[in-house]
This record gives sequence, structure tokens and C-alpha cells, in this order.
Amino acid sequence: MPSSRCLLRLPHPPSSLLAAPIAPHTSTSLRHAAPFSASASQCMPAPAKKKGVTFGGPPARGTKALRIKKTVRQSTARPPAPGERRALRKRIVLSNTNALEVAGLRDATLDSLVDEAMVGKVVGLPGQVVDSLRVVEAFKVHQGWGLFRRPACLVRKETVEIGRVVAEAEEQKTTRRVVLCGERNSGKSVLLLQGLAGAFMRGWVVLNFPEAKDLTIGHTAYSPIPNTTPTQYAQRTYTANLLSQISKANASVLSALQITQSHDLPMPLQRNLTLDRLCELGARDPDIAWPIFQALWKELTAPGRPPVFMALDGLAHVMRLSAYLAPDTKPIHAHDLALVNHFVEYLSGQKQLGNGGVVMAAVSESNQPRTPALEHAPRRKQPESFLEHQLRQLKHWNPYVKGDERVIKALDGVEVLRLKGLSREEARGVMEYYAASGMLRNTVTEGFVSEKWSLAGQGIVGELERAAVRLRV
Amino acid sequence: MPPRIDFFAASRPLTYRPKALNCPRRAQQVFKTLPASCRGFANSHDLPIAEGAEGPNTDTLPHVSEEAAAINEITGKGGPEIEQGTPVQEVVKGDKEAEKNLPKVMQQDMKASKPSGVRSYHTSARRLQDATLITQPSQALSQPGVKFGLPDLPMPRSANLHHRYDPAVEQVTNLMMRHGKLSVAQRNMSLILTHLRTASPPTINPLRPLLPGAPPPSHLPLNPILYLTLAIDSVAPLMRIRSQRGAAGGGVALQIPVPLGLRQRRRTAVQWILDAATKRRNRGSGKGMFAQRVAEELVSVVEGKSSVWEKRGGVHKMGVGARANLKFGQRR
Repeated sequence: MPSSRCLLRLPHPPSSLLAAPIAPHTSTSLRHAAPFSASASQCMPAPAKKKGVTFGGPPARGTKALRIKKTVRQSTARPPAPGERRALRKRIVLSNTNALEVAGLRDATLDSLVDEAMVGKVVGLPGQVVDSLRVVEAFKVHQGWGLFRRPACLVRKETVEIGRVVAEAEEQKTTRRVVLCGERNSGKSVLLLQGLAGAFMRGWVVLNFPEAKDLTIGHTAYSPIPNTTPTQYAQRTYTANLLSQISKANASVLSALQITQSHDLPMPLQRNLTLDRLCELGARDPDIAWPIFQALWKELTAPGRPPVFMALDGLAHVMRLSAYLAPDTKPIHAHDLALVNHFVEYLSGQKQLGNGGVVMAAVSESNQPRTPALEHAPRRKQPESFLEHQLRQLKHWNPYVKGDERVIKALDGVEVLRLKGLSREEARGVMEYYAASGMLRNTVTEGFVSEKWSLAGQGIVGELERAAVRLRV
Repeated sequence: MPPRIDFFAASRPLTYRPKALNCPRRAQQVFKTLPASCRGFANSHDLPIAEGAEGPNTDTLPHVSEEAAAINEITGKGGPEIEQGTPVQEVVKGDKEAEKNLPKVMQQDMKASKPSGVRSYHTSARRLQDATLITQPSQALSQPGVKFGLPDLPMPRSANLHHRYDPAVEQVTNLMMRHGKLSVAQRNMSLILTHLRTASPPTINPLRPLLPGAPPPSHLPLNPILYLTLAIDSVAPLMRIRSQRGAAGGGVALQIPVPLGLRQRRRTAVQWILDAATKRRNRGSGKGMFAQRVAEELVSVVEGKSSVWEKRGGVHKMGVGARANLKFGQRR
């Protein structure tokens, strides 16, 4: 029986197997019998080529060979173009044509954002404001704009507070500095958006940093600015993009303003150049973007110009060391980046906006980096954000905690607005809007509202949306 | 022993009647006239008309006994009871000739069953009426002293903790789950339903009829759970093919069609849909891509473009071909 014979006779072991255990004990003469030895005497002879069988080619005439076809699946579909998949992921949809038009939905006006009687009602955002907000990237992907017929938002108690801050800053020509804190999904970014919307409606100049993370994670080009101590770093591509956003979003305001100051720029400027054209010049050429941004700022802070609204989302990212490296391979502090420094100077109150204005920043609770300054922080009873902790420390400084002095100075004396859940009346208002849009199929009763309100952590608005509209089990 | 009269024996090998698909609970809501507070957003007069609501197989003839009942209702005679089988005693009642041929047990029973006491009626048949009376005392109890009021009876299915979600949604979620990650599956389910509600309404292919009584396509995005249920139930097979080894002789397996229950049918359909979805190509990148592919597959099922319909057709064709094998294993 051939098969049993095969089992009885072991095959001859290869030489390398035998050589391996022997090598450590034997003399140096055998050491060179390593597998990679080039000496012909110790090596096994190469196996003789079998006649008749050639690998890769067709079998010779008269011989049979097993042919296995390689199954290489050729996909006929066009592969996605570079950036196409990302664009799909980052796409912002502001309308759902399946949703029902809400009868009696009114557009937001200057008064409705300041009026306390409007609290708990949903107002639509006017078309022009929506365009501007879209340009400054105030809408985020994860927010629920794509579920409803048109962008609309709830007027909540804090909206009115922010509206008043903006109105007062305009009247008294002062600079208001506000930081928005609060639990995750409690509506900080949307409140920032409402502030931006109010500023657009008032004819302010709006400057928005939609994601502070983009400034500091080292994804855009940077270069030192000569003659600055400590050395500052300009991010030219980012600045060019920012200038293009400013010119598009504020076109109606900036196109009516002309240059009045003198600037030393690398190229001559037309005499009656409007400010939106100035921005476009910078947007077109990243090399001169930073000087042009400075020139624009000089124009905007000159007397007789409109107030300015500066906003930044994800504040914690600019309150730490950035991912950029200085020439001495030490990390650059985020405040040494020129754009961040520009924002922080106004947030800290070091500089004032001459024509009045608001500097507003929102904290992100879902994307917040760890701060080394807080590693030894004592256990906290209430969950409070990093910023609140910093702010509390200003009053009762713990000498054993290593704090970032620049950060502490930057946040000295800012107004903190802590967002909590919606009240039941506000929750009812927003749920009635959901139902009127056809996105919520239940009857909005007192019991139903309080059930969802409780499930949403006492009215955390993002959770309310998840429970009521997103059908998230 | 006299032969037993079996009226249904003749029909047993011929037809097999699977359990009727329950129209989903939410599907019925579409047709009911809802109170205005429920849907303060659309008027009944501008509801779109269903296109192709009647498919080729929707108006088949009713069952023989149903037809007889309908005719007798028109003519005014008491026809056969459709809800339950008619007892033989009632069928032959009054017919002296037939009564003589009844089994002895039945004859004795008929004699004995005449009420001999004061009451001229049976008490045994009153169980159903008693059941309906149960709600009466609960009304009386909803007087002061009940702190939170009494619940409406019968309690809805969702009142139970374990049945609070829609059964179809729950089943699909569980079938999507991999490695025990229920939360991921739930997120995917949420994304699927969001996609169904934001995608444009499907265009129905008349060659691939959906369940009879389906709402018009323009209503589907506003009710994504119904959309999902409709897609799954429409493409769900009525049967599976069981291969009985060695029954056909010569080592050949005998193909025997076996009717499936509602959950079994849905399970098969969902697995086909998930298989088809995994073979689709990703268009974007990120976490929600699988959910998007499943959602696109569901839409293509409703539009009649999906390859799942061919799978269903194949199973049904094989079932029809093998219907003679239904007799296998029965006593002759």
C-alpha cells in the first residue's frame, strides 16, 4: 500500500535543520554553515529541475496539467476621485424635501432674537443669513439641519441673553467677551451660530474660526513672521481661506467700505479699493494673506466702521501647545500662532474693538484635548469643563497645580455662559416643530414631552433630538 | 367504526395556506382617519393617489367557504361560519337522513344536549361575552382614589418593557449586529432610518408589486419604519425548500417546500438584503457607510431593482415545482 509506506518512512531532513542545534556547541569551523552561507562545499545542492514541467508556461504537448484560472475580479466602477469621499462625509445638507413645510414658521428678525416673549418658539433663518453662515462654516455635519425643510432654530433663554449682549455692545461701543460652556450636546455651537446670525442681521463684520483644532494640529503651512518677539507664526493658506470667507460672507457690508488708512504692503493698492476686494486680493495669493489680513484689521478698527463679531469653536485646542515645532524643535504655544494670538488678544481684553463688538468662543465637550495643566487637579464634584476649572482657579489659585500662565491670563475676566438643558416649555416648542415638520409621528402631549425631556437628561437639546427625531433607540 | 367525515381532508394536499402577513401596526395608521391633533400638517383631500395599488395578483378569488358565506349573506340564509370551522352537527342539523348516518357518539350527544332544566340556553358558549365585560369594572374604578388613573385596556404591545420598540426594527437591528455590538447596530439602524426619510421617494416598478395595500410612495419617507417594514415584507419569501435526503431514491434529495412564519420570512429577507448590501460599493468614507449601503439596498428593493427579488423568485419557483412533494411523510 503506497499510502502507509509514506507514513513509515520519514523524509530526509534538510541540512539547515540539522545544523541549527549543532552550531552553538561546535567549533568555528561549522559556524559558516549558516543558511546564508555562500560556500559551495557546505550547501545542499540546488534541486535538479524536473524535466517536462515548466512553471508558468503551457504544458508540453501530450502532457496533462491542472489548470487553475486565477480569479482576479476586475471592477468596472470608476474609483472615487481624490477628495470625493471626504467631500461626501463633510457635506452639509440644509434641507430635506420630504419634510413638511411648517405653517406659520416666521423668519428670525432683530427683535425676535432679543424678545423674551419669543422664548420657546422656533424661528427660521433668513435666506441671506443662511448663505453667509454656510460660507463661514457655522453649520456642522452632526447637527440636524438636514432633517427639516429649511434651517430654523429654537429661541431659548440663552439666545435672548446673547442677543442682548450683541445689542449692548453695539449701543455702547464696547467689547464683550463671552465663553460658552455646558454639557455635551447642550447646544453651544448652535448658540454660537445664533450669535453669528444676529451679527449678520445687524450688519456687523463677522469673522469665524469654525474649528479651532484646524489651527493647531499642524495640518496647514506655517512660517515665522520676521521682527516679532516672541516669534509669531503665520499660517498663510489658512489665512487666505479665512480672507475669502470674510469677503464672501460679509460682501454686502464690506463692498460699501473703502480703504482710508495707509498700509505698507508688498504691492501698491488702488486708491478707492473696497474692503471685500482687499480680502479677495489676500485670498488669491497666500504669500501676502497675512499682511492683507493685518491691513483689513487696521481698516475695520478705524473709527466709523461697523462692529465686529469674532467667534471660535473648540476653544480648548487653542489653549495649549500646538502641534507645530519651532526651529529649536520645541512645540510652539498656540498663542504664538498669529491668528490665534489675534483672537486671544481680544478675548483676554488686552485689546479693545474700537467700534464695539463681541468676541465669543465655545467649548467643545466631545473633542477636548487633555491639558497638562489640569493633570493634578483635585477631584471635582460636578463635571465642569476645563475652562470653568481654569476660571475658578483664578480666584482660588492652587499653588500645587501647574497652570499655564498664558492661558490663565487669556481667560481672565471673560463672561461665562453655562448652557443647561431646555426648560419644559422650550422642549415643548421644539417638539411641536418636529411634529409639524412630520419628523415626529407622536402627538405632542404633556406626558410625551416630559418623558422625552427626562430621557434627554433634563432637556439636553441634542439628546432630545436624538430621542425624538433621529429614532435612536 | 363508521368513517369519519373530514371535510378538509380533500383540500389539505392541494393548497397550503401560510399565515397571512400581518399588516404592520403603523401601516394601518396611514389609512385611518387620524385626529387632527395627530397630524396637523396635511389635509386629506390633497393626499396623492396610490399608483399601481392593485397588482396582478392582488384580486384573486376568495376561498370557497368565503364565497359561500358572501352569497348566503346576500340571499339571507345562514351560511358557513368563516371564522371557525363549522361543526358537523350543525351542518347536518335538521336533515333527518344525514343525522341517521352520524357517528353514535354524536347522535347521543345531540339527544343529551337538549336543555332539560329551566334555562333554555347553553352556558358554555358565553365565555366570549364574559371576556368583553371585563372592561366594565375598570371604568367604575377610575373614580377618585386611583392616583394616576387607570391604563387603557387592552394595553398596547409597547407598554411592555421588552417589546417597547417596533418588532421589525428590533429584528433588523439584531440581525445587523456583529460581535455582540448592539449599540453599533442601533446607531446603524438610526442612520438607515434617517437615510430613508431624507432620500427622495421611491418610484415603484409595477412588475415588482409591493404588498397589497401599501401606501403611495410619497408617504413612505415620512414614515421610515413603515418604509423599512414594507421593503422587507414585500421581498420576504413565503416558503423555504427543505431537502430530504434519500427520499427521492437513488441518493437524490427530495425538495419539499415548507411554509415560513412571519419572523422567519423577515429574517430570510433581511439576510438577503444585508448580503446584497455588503456587496455594494462604498461611495464615501467614515463610520456610516454600511448603514448607507443597507439603506440604498432597501430603496432599491422597493423600487424593484434589487437582486433580492430574483432570489425570492427562485425560491418560489422551486417551491411551485416541488409542490407535489408536500405529500411526503403523510399517512395515506
